[in-house]
Amino acid sequence: MLGVGDFYYELGVQMLELCVATSYRNGGVILLEEVLRRLNQRRRPDNQISSDDVVRAVKKLRVLGSGMEVVATGSSQFIYSIPGELSMDHTTLLQQAETVGHMTVCSAASSLGWTQERVGRTLDHLLRVGIAWRDDQDRPASFWFPAFFQQCTTAE
Amino acid sequence: MAEFEWPWQYSFPPFFTLQPNADVRRTQLDSWCALVVSWGKSNSVSQIDVTEASSLPVFKNNAISRALPVDGIKVVLDELAKRGNLEWTDKTRRRGYLLWRSPSEWGQQIYSWAQSTSRINNVCTLYEINQGDESADQEFHGLDGDILLKALKTLEVTGKAELMDFGDNQGIKFL
Repeated sequence: MLGVGDFYYELGVQMLELCVATSYRNGGVILLEEVLRRLNQRRRPDNQISSDDVVRAVKKLRVLGSGMEVVATGSSQFIYSIPGELSMDHTTLLQQAETVGHMTVCSAASSLGWTQERVGRTLDHLLRVGIAWRDDQDRPASFWFPAFFQQCTTAE
Repeated sequence: MAEFEWPWQYSFPPFFTLQPNADVRRTQLDSWCALVVSWGKSNSVSQIDVTEASSLPVFKNNAISRALPVDGIKVVLDELAKRGNLEWTDKTRRRGYLLWRSPSEWGQQIYSWAQSTSRINNVCTLYEINQGDESADQEFHGLDGDILLKALKTLEVTGKAELMDFGDNQGIKFL
């Protein structure tokens, strides 16, 4: 049961606010380490939160239908908080994206063992919601993700 | 002058490609407009010429080999014009004044300076205003002549000044 004043509930609310505040630039996907860094910046040194705390808070919020989800990648985790949850294909591609930073349709198809058409469809959705951006000055066109782009995650 | 701090978007290669989705593009244009205005202010850029804009550092980041294409630059400049930060010099829309401050904001700053330097009811030349020693510490020092004139005209309209012509020179009497 959730009580108002529950540590994880309050943390969850702070996280939601952070996700809403940053979604204009990352499309609703944010690295767990970025969440930790930003939230801990505002907390007293003796009151810091851990990634376990974040994961627990997301789980509690899901009970309330928040639509937030933690996804593990090879080396880290990210949270998404957009309405209309991401499909397996979306999260799989994002896991790949977190590892490589940017991708082309070919490189993704080859790494994931998918058809190019499946990659294209998946990317289309991510482009539409601003999670992925396309770079037409790369040959062939490449796709980047602000949520996993270092200068973006550390920007004010 | 402190070195201009580029925002994260400037290092992000796709920033230099106009994004296909309308909502994402709107966010992207917000960032482009903010960047051009703050860069212009930091570097005292008062005019942008569409045909030369491609070589401006703001539209071209050599470190990542990306440059906003000319039609992208035109979209950004049109957006700046819509937001009142750019004023085309004529209908051809080839050149525009970059207004990181509106002419009336400049006018107010100049008038305050005139008050604090005892210039009210005195005549001074336009040169004194944007190039003279006494304005060296002012933000409007070095202001482009055409924009200066627009700024002073806003003062004229509100009865705070009177523009004067002395043949070769132009002067102004603060009231």
